[in-house]
Amino acid sequence: MAPGEKIKAKIKKTLPVTGPQAPTIKELMQWYCLNTNTHGCRRIVVSRGRLRRLLWIGFTLTAVALIFWQCALLVFSFYTVSVSIKVHFQKLDFPAVTICNINPYKYSEVRHLLADLEQEARGALKTLYGFSEIKSRKRRGAESWSSAWEGTQPKFLNIIPLLAFDQTERATATDFFTGRKRKVSGSIIHKASKVMHIQESKKVVGFQLCSNDTSDCATYTFSSGVNAIQEWYKLHYMNIMAQVPLEKKINMSYSAEELLVTCFFDGVSCDSRNFTLFHHPMHGNCYTFNNKVNETILSTSMGGSQYGLQVILYVNEEEYNPFLVSSTGAKVIVHQQDEYPFIEDVGTEIETAMATSMGMHLTESFKLGKPYSQCTEDGSDVPVKNIYNAAYSLQICLHSCFQAKMVEVCGCAQFSQPLPPAANYCNYQQHPNWMYCYYQLHRAFVQEELGCQSVCREACSFKEWTLTTSLAQWPSVVSEKWLLPVLTWDKGQQISKKLNKTDLAKLLIFYKDLNQRSIMESPANSIEMLLSNFGGQLGLWMSCSVVCVIEIIEVFFIDIFSIIARRQWQKAKEWWARKKAPPCPEAPPSSLGQDNPTLDMDDDPPTFTSALSLPQAPGAQVPGTPPPRYNTLRLERAFSNQLTDTQAFQRHWLKVCFEQDKAYARAELAPIGRCPATLTAVQDEVYPAAFPVHLLEMD
Amino acid sequence: MKGDKREEQDPSPAQPTQGPMKGDKREEQDPGPAQPTQRPMKGDKRKEQGTDPAPPVPPQPSEEEEALIEFHRSYRELFEFFCNNTTIHGAIRLVCSRHNRMKTAFWAVLWLCTFCMMYWQFGQLFGEYFSYPVSLNINLNSDKLVFPAVTICTLNPYRYTEIKEELEELDRITEQTLFDLYKYNSSGTLAVPARSRRDLGRRGLPHPLLRLPALPPGRRARWAASGMQDNNPQVDRKDWKIGFQLCNQNKSDCFYQTYSSGVDAVREWYRFHYINILARLPDTSRYPGEDTLGNFIFSCRFNQVSCNQANYSHFHHPMYGNCYTFNDKNSSNLWMSSMPGINNGLSVMLRTEQNDFIPLLSTVTGARVMVHGQDEPAFMDDGGFNLRPGIETSISMRKETLERLGGNYGDCTKNGSDVPVENLFRPLKYTQQVCIHSCFQESMVRECGCAYIFYPRPPGVEFCDYRKHDSWGYCYYKLQDAFATDRLGCFTKCRKPCSVTSYQLTAGYSRWPSVTSQDWIFKMLSLQNNYTINNKRNGVAKLNIFFKELKYKTNSESPSVTMVTLLSNLGRQWSLWFGSSVLSVVEMAEFIFDLLVITSVMLLRRFRSRYWSPGRGRRAAWEVASTPASSFPSRFYPHSASPSSSQPDPAPSPASAAPPPAYATLGPCPSLTAKARASASQEP
Repeated sequence: MAPGEKIKAKIKKTLPVTGPQAPTIKELMQWYCLNTNTHGCRRIVVSRGRLRRLLWIGFTLTAVALIFWQCALLVFSFYTVSVSIKVHFQKLDFPAVTICNINPYKYSEVRHLLADLEQEARGALKTLYGFSEIKSRKRRGAESWSSAWEGTQPKFLNIIPLLAFDQTERATATDFFTGRKRKVSGSIIHKASKVMHIQESKKVVGFQLCSNDTSDCATYTFSSGVNAIQEWYKLHYMNIMAQVPLEKKINMSYSAEELLVTCFFDGVSCDSRNFTLFHHPMHGNCYTFNNKVNETILSTSMGGSQYGLQVILYVNEEEYNPFLVSSTGAKVIVHQQDEYPFIEDVGTEIETAMATSMGMHLTESFKLGKPYSQCTEDGSDVPVKNIYNAAYSLQICLHSCFQAKMVEVCGCAQFSQPLPPAANYCNYQQHPNWMYCYYQLHRAFVQEELGCQSVCREACSFKEWTLTTSLAQWPSVVSEKWLLPVLTWDKGQQISKKLNKTDLAKLLIFYKDLNQRSIMESPANSIEMLLSNFGGQLGLWMSCSVVCVIEIIEVFFIDIFSIIARRQWQKAKEWWARKKAPPCPEAPPSSLGQDNPTLDMDDDPPTFTSALSLPQAPGAQVPGTPPPRYNTLRLERAFSNQLTDTQAFQRHWLKVCFEQDKAYARAELAPIGRCPATLTAVQDEVYPAAFPVHLLEMD
Repeated sequence: MKGDKREEQDPSPAQPTQGPMKGDKREEQDPGPAQPTQRPMKGDKRKEQGTDPAPPVPPQPSEEEEALIEFHRSYRELFEFFCNNTTIHGAIRLVCSRHNRMKTAFWAVLWLCTFCMMYWQFGQLFGEYFSYPVSLNINLNSDKLVFPAVTICTLNPYRYTEIKEELEELDRITEQTLFDLYKYNSSGTLAVPARSRRDLGRRGLPHPLLRLPALPPGRRARWAASGMQDNNPQVDRKDWKIGFQLCNQNKSDCFYQTYSSGVDAVREWYRFHYINILARLPDTSRYPGEDTLGNFIFSCRFNQVSCNQANYSHFHHPMYGNCYTFNDKNSSNLWMSSMPGINNGLSVMLRTEQNDFIPLLSTVTGARVMVHGQDEPAFMDDGGFNLRPGIETSISMRKETLERLGGNYGDCTKNGSDVPVENLFRPLKYTQQVCIHSCFQESMVRECGCAYIFYPRPPGVEFCDYRKHDSWGYCYYKLQDAFATDRLGCFTKCRKPCSVTSYQLTAGYSRWPSVTSQDWIFKMLSLQNNYTINNKRNGVAKLNIFFKELKYKTNSESPSVTMVTLLSNLGRQWSLWFGSSVLSVVEMAEFIFDLLVITSVMLLRRFRSRYWSPGRGRRAAWEVASTPASSFPSRFYPHSASPSSSQPDPAPSPASAAPPPAYATLGPCPSLTAKARASASQEP
């Protein structure tokens, strides 16, 4: 014999696989209900009375339903988080502080680029509003703008003309440069249409942007001329600056020495070397403190304004671009070292001639990612390419997404955001209709039609500094007398004029205290908790356990199917047998299928007891221990009993049945259905032989 | 009933000493082994298997014959049935194993211990649940946000034409008073005629402003007892204070409303009179037509788009002047912010020139802005933010919401309907502030008989005016004192709303317009708004309001112990200590129910057997035979069953004592009884 077969045989011998003993499903159910440890089932069987049984079925099913319901609730609430807030008191890392002048470039430096634009803006002002240039501007202007205006052909107004719309007649507009009326075709997408009646004059100023074929145009009008001019100027400004290389732009903007007059950190003097340059498209050169690569992050050992960053900024109001920016001051933003400073979006303005104190309070948040929430750890799973050289944040994602769409739709990149690879900034030499495209795209973006808002997810952990701002007049009248000359002397190398107090701003950024608040999410439920809650529910309603569940699976999913299969097989066999030899053999399978167990179960106790009564004398039984009453014990025995029974018994029984049937047949009685009756007789023979062994075991 | 059925099968009720169960069983077992047993345990099972083609035994009841509900026929039967089939662990050992005292005691102790442990734990668990603990959840959501409503006020109270004369009179008298008290002559031209009419003026207005000598401490205490308002921290170096007198209806009780600073006193006094004058204003003239938005707001943009006519509404505040609310509930479509940042918010250019209508009422210049929810009233007093002229104020917002659990978990109200204060600001939403103001107004109407002008009045009540209610000032200041010290109970009456949305504002300032751009900006503004601007920064201001981030924090409460977890915990404890389940309790209930039914049936039978004639057919005979055979306790306890009954027929008793072959149900019952009987037979 081959070893494989040997092992196989051994396995077969030691681990015999047999089907369920119960021949019918009903039997199986009954057996299960009687023997299971699950509460309720047994009562269904043992209760007397139909109503009572029905009630017990109802109770049991209710308990099962409750278990399922409660467990479903537990499962659904599994992914909840619990939040813990911790307050640490420790030495805190000072955040990166980025400071910008609101005005991006020194006007004297960029003037040669913007001279034409300025002229045309002034010309537009004159034509639209009929006021002439103010003297101060004239003084600064290289030539009289009005005379230049007469001669040259305006190029900016040709590209995007400023129009005056009559409130009453919508479809026409006056091109103020040519003076003639022109038909406004296409849809008028008003940046203001049903404007509130702010101005008495019925004129509304706006400009028209058209796509390639001038059929599709959008006209943008503004409730206030100030906004119209500024917007118009900004469009052209971006066009011009888009063509200027970065180095040149950096040179045109403020240097660190210019912007920062004095610097103190943690009581120690610092200077421009502690700041890193960061060029922002709309704000020019910005300087970030405490963002040095390859250097340790500075930290403060104490709270309070003494120990924070203290700078005096030089904001030269004279160098301001009159049309691009209308306010004076600086912008400051507090951010993490690897975070991109969105200075134009969330920067805080600082007023000149004022000391601005900003007290910080640090809050750290840690969220749990999938599956608890939609946040992302580092943005790698967000399908938007990060065009910023900084850590992921929601805002970076939104801007990157918009820029990507811009490149995709309009073919060029928007000026105020970084350049994606293989793209150029928009300018109307190369992309004549990009502005129309941009406005359309921006509108779609704001209305969430681009899908950026749904694609971008927030970051899981972030730090935020809550700022409390307070202002004080600075320098005071008495101190200004000595302060200003000293500062002027300090800056002597760069500037020649005497400092004015409206050119200076003082900024203090400090930790209010060194308390750091951490908001941390942690899973509220663990698998152990879930399991133990399941256990609680199972135990509470039915005193059930995992073993019970396995039992149920065994009984309901394995045994039932094997019973069905067996019966089907037997039916088929019977059918086959009947087909082959019609007269006799049809009886046994049918009786075997249905009636054998009934007899087995129903009739064995009386026979058994009667059998028992014979060997057991009453006297012998008295001191003996009662039979074990543990269900489990008996269960197994009952099983093996039945199993051996059914196996050993069937052969025997078949023979008897045949004989009986033959006898019946001889007596001209119907053989079918008689077998069960005769089986009692059979059992009487069989059982006594089969059972005493187990009986001995039990006692 | 089972009994009825049995009756037919029972040919001989001749064994009266036996328990009915036993008798039956033996009777039916006797015919032969081929016949299935009639023992109750067995019988039950057989009924389940009713469809079996049983051996041809005639009295075998099939399923159709099974009664709707069957009861055990004796206590013993019931008791044994219960002992055999109960699923309660431990307890069954105590009740059902009573043959060994040691064992019983042991089980009793064990059972008691576990029982106590379980109930102790249950108590803890229920205590925890019914203390309704909440846990705080902090959610950080990022979402498109609805822009809040923004109310901007001019800080220039408007002078209505109807009360113009009276206000001028008031101004004149004020100037007069200022001159009298401080020798301050505000305008030389006005002072001369004012002085001539001085006596007239002072007579014209009640509650004149007086200079009061500083009081010695003792006297002050007495005054304080009579309700004097002493608003001064001891800062005045002078030995006199300034204030005005307020008296009650019959002048029996008076106090001086005094102030340490003359500025405060004059302003408060002026305000008091101004309120009275305002009260005379007819309802119809609330909105003066000529005061349009254009005179105050030069330009307004949201999200780079100019504001719409439909975006704002207007109201007039007696102290703060014309107020414009942007993006409030009535606006056609609410502004949404899908991007943070200064370019995606509200940007407004304001005219902040002081029109000098009422110099004494508003001493600040600029504008007042307030950010509030769409359906909340704008309490400019409570939550305003002043804008400085000549400055661009950038207000960055951060949204934060707070959700409280109502009901048992905390004291909050969903919509204010269950707060005993009527919301006078309807249809605006309930907030705590709304409630407190309504509450104050309610007390005011109740105590003083008139309504305070700054709050809405309930229907049918008129605003306070000393021409009609001459002592309302006295009443009002008294009430306010009571209100501030919460003697009115407003703060306890007004419950917190369950969900609160708040906006944290941070401001940044920059000079606007810049020196280089101010020329053309001023020119432009003056041209398009048709007013002469004098190139001064003081006349204009700019305001930007935007979301700093679209992240918003939601602080919400959730029950930390829910019903599900409570049940799970109970089940855990129960399983741990007791091993039973709810179904076991139902079993117990069934047992008790059965017990009661059997008791009542037996009582009935006994009653019938005693008072009725016993010869009423077989039924009565059986009843007599079966039931009153032994007393209840004797039947209840197995060993007290009469020993004589077990002795006469030894054959069935071992049969019943034999352990069953296969079925669990069969096992304990016969063995128990057999053993019991055996032990009983040995006792004598």
